[in-house]
Amino acid sequence: MYKLAFYNFIRSRSVWIALVLFFAAGMVSILIGRQFLLKQEAAIQSVTRSQQEHIGRNVKYIKNEFGLLMYYLKFAYINKPAPIAALAIGQQDVNSNIQALTVRGLEAQRYDTDLYNPYNLMTGNFDLSFVITCLFPLLIIAFNFNVLSREKEGGTWPLVKMQSLQPMKFILQKLSIRCIVVSALLLSLLILAKLIVGIPVNAAFGAYAIVAFLYVLVWFAISFLLIVLHKSTSVNALLLLSAWVLLCLLVPGLINNYVTARYAVPEAYSTLIKQRDGYHTKWDKDKDSTLQAFFHEYPEYRNYVWNKPSFNYLWFYAMQHMGDAEAREHSRAMHQQLRQRSRVSATAGLFFPATHAQLQFANIAQTGMPQHLQYLDSTVHFHERLRRYFYPKIFGDSAVDSEHWAQHVPVYFHAACNVQWIQLVLPLLFTGIVLFGAGVVLFKRNPA
Amino acid sequence: MSNIKLIAVHFIKTVWKGKVIVPIYLVWLALVLYAVFTGYATYTRQNEIRKEYQARARQSWEANPDKHPHRMAHFGSFAFRVKHPLSMFDNGMESYTGNAVYLEAHKQNTANYSEASFSTGLLRFGELSLAMLLQTLLPLILFFLGFNAVAQQRENATLKILVSQGATFKQIIWGNSIGLFAVAVAFLLPVLLSTLTGIALQSTTTADAGLFIRCAVIGAGAIIFLWVVSVLAIVISAVSSTGRSALLSLLGMWLMMAIVLPKTLQAIGSYVYPAPGKIQFQAAVEADILQQGDSHNPDDVHFKKLKDSVLRANKVDSIQQLPFNYSGYIMQEGERMSAQVYNRHLQQLHTIYDRQNRVSYNAAFIDPFIGFKNITMAFSGTGFSAFLSFQQQAEKYRYDLAQTMNVLQMKYISNKKLSSTDKPYSIDKSHWTSFPDFRHRYQSVNEIIQQQWVALVALAAWLLLSVILIHFTAAKATVI
Repeated sequence: MYKLAFYNFIRSRSVWIALVLFFAAGMVSILIGRQFLLKQEAAIQSVTRSQQEHIGRNVKYIKNEFGLLMYYLKFAYINKPAPIAALAIGQQDVNSNIQALTVRGLEAQRYDTDLYNPYNLMTGNFDLSFVITCLFPLLIIAFNFNVLSREKEGGTWPLVKMQSLQPMKFILQKLSIRCIVVSALLLSLLILAKLIVGIPVNAAFGAYAIVAFLYVLVWFAISFLLIVLHKSTSVNALLLLSAWVLLCLLVPGLINNYVTARYAVPEAYSTLIKQRDGYHTKWDKDKDSTLQAFFHEYPEYRNYVWNKPSFNYLWFYAMQHMGDAEAREHSRAMHQQLRQRSRVSATAGLFFPATHAQLQFANIAQTGMPQHLQYLDSTVHFHERLRRYFYPKIFGDSAVDSEHWAQHVPVYFHAACNVQWIQLVLPLLFTGIVLFGAGVVLFKRNPA
Repeated sequence: MSNIKLIAVHFIKTVWKGKVIVPIYLVWLALVLYAVFTGYATYTRQNEIRKEYQARARQSWEANPDKHPHRMAHFGSFAFRVKHPLSMFDNGMESYTGNAVYLEAHKQNTANYSEASFSTGLLRFGELSLAMLLQTLLPLILFFLGFNAVAQQRENATLKILVSQGATFKQIIWGNSIGLFAVAVAFLLPVLLSTLTGIALQSTTTADAGLFIRCAVIGAGAIIFLWVVSVLAIVISAVSSTGRSALLSLLGMWLMMAIVLPKTLQAIGSYVYPAPGKIQFQAAVEADILQQGDSHNPDDVHFKKLKDSVLRANKVDSIQQLPFNYSGYIMQEGERMSAQVYNRHLQQLHTIYDRQNRVSYNAAFIDPFIGFKNITMAFSGTGFSAFLSFQQQAEKYRYDLAQTMNVLQMKYISNKKLSSTDKPYSIDKSHWTSFPDFRHRYQSVNEIIQQQWVALVALAAWLLLSVILIHFTAAKATVI
């Protein structure tokens, strides 16, 4: 009987057309993700190459002034996307993941963006996470909207009720057939993605797959709940589509508008101005006060000569550093504000399956806002290491030739990847169970 | 003629009597209110902040004591992008463009701190603006209200009766389209009203905002767009055998035109015309500048030649004898050359972006949704060209600032080298205040029309097509 119903479902031509269309959309999205990854890879290779050329050229011209040389030299710090980023590009196209930093003030450098076409960013990425969160629900709706109403409108429902002891079982059977088909489509896309992009099967990939399957189940639960309200076919279609419009179109916009209007980030601008003023005004101030402030933080450089010639690189880099030091408080406030934004969005997103899935996909792929903030924070440590390495050479005016320049290759940022399973799974599981349970109760009360 | 009127009135009555219109309209009003309140709050707060920081940056610029002008060229300035009042109506791509840029000598910085860089992935679902409600949600609502118009009459055979009583298909389609369009206007009104109220509440709109004509174009665009959508709904309903199949066709069309096509076309554009990233871009600029001459390199041929010719032209044989400051002159020359190279590369980059975007612009002929969106963005001052215009203004200001400081150096700074005990050269601080602050100007409406004529023509073409479509469908339609 089940087998028969299954064959009956997949024999339909429109089902196959829908499956082929969605399979094609999924494939396109995987290829777009792969393209994105290749572009990032190319940029990383190009920066690795050009860093050597860049250092070589400057070292050739500026042979005997270490401090002047370091004014120009840039060192790349790279947040390399994991292969799974191809399946959830997230905010990675907005946020630059290669920083080329000099040892001068950090705050003036670390928010520099990449060059991009804003129109591309606005239309967004057609990646697999978009296909799953926004398009898959439509397939599920198309499969389910008339499961019950068709029987009733076609006059076959009394027959079903007579022949089958449990009408509920009949509906669930039909839904489960559709669920198997959609899951098979999802699984085949995930396997293809794994093969095409070369994603390692690890906790992250597992988490991605689990979120995707749970999300699909939630949409089946939503369909079930609305089906058992016993409305007509077109009302069902209307209700299910309204649910889709609400969850995939309006709710994210509502949350986002609220966050944007509620949490402006003026701290970004005050950081910008503060760091400029902090550094530049030092030119007009007493050298001693600048250097004492600098030595307070870095007592190990106290013994270098700084008060002899009118211009001295110890003074110069101390001024640069004071710009950062004076902007630090503003920069910290800015990051706090950004974390607040991220938290509010994530918390609001918890209650709605589409937003939760989308944010979790990005978290798993390390392409979300929290991960970018981690990367931005870690640039401070990278910059500090860089400065501590070069400061003695600058202040002691080492010979440029004595430095082993080839060792200065780009450094990679490694995000701590820990999948928080409970936070990941629970909201979807909970929503699914509640909706499904409500459906069962409704149907039991009114099995008409 | 009276038949058309009768049918239109009948359509409106049917919608009005249906159970769904009241809840849909209430939800619509709530969304419009939410969009306009958040849009208004964001607009006023952002402009307040940006103006405040522009002023603060200026304050510290003017607070500089007497000093060497080149120090001021490095001190630099900032350009903050001021939002256009109509950004309350349509955010466009503004969330993805930088809002502030640091302007200093020798270096073109990127505009940073875009809203998107402060946002989570939720932004990527799309923002809830008044324009988005008109472009995406309202067509869906109209498709819902219109799909049954003719198809249901065919299904329950009232269409036969209607035609046998003397109504022609032309009248039926015109009548229903007008009826649906009237409903659409009822949805449009609160949007227009709240936009105008939001603008009227602004005490500080500037004269160059061109508000009247921008609003007029957007309003006319919205009316044409909604008419086209109404006709599409009715025409599909008229050619479908059942209401259900009409609904499915319309939903498929909506999904294609509102969601899938805009995304995929832009992806195709950027795939076909690949643009370099920042690293490749900067490497190319650096290579060209080095080829032209490197003012840092003491052995550089270009600058050696320059020095010789300057000395010859002034009939002197050493730099010290020149009537102006030579290093100021060199920096002026260096800034000019590097800016020229940079701008050439930037122009090339923008040409690539433009080619990418052309795919979407031209798609307005197959997808009226895209065309309408391009129009609302451009005329709300939140489109691609508005951002380019800001970038150009900022770069021009940067260049003027650097060159003004170079001229001051040439004029007032001596060529004589100072010993380490001398007081460094400086000029009076009144020069800082006399250099004007940056002020972001909106694009002129003429410029926008020049850039968006394709979208305007496409929308006009759709208007024409809608009439043709009605006649074509009427000729082919049958009662069963």
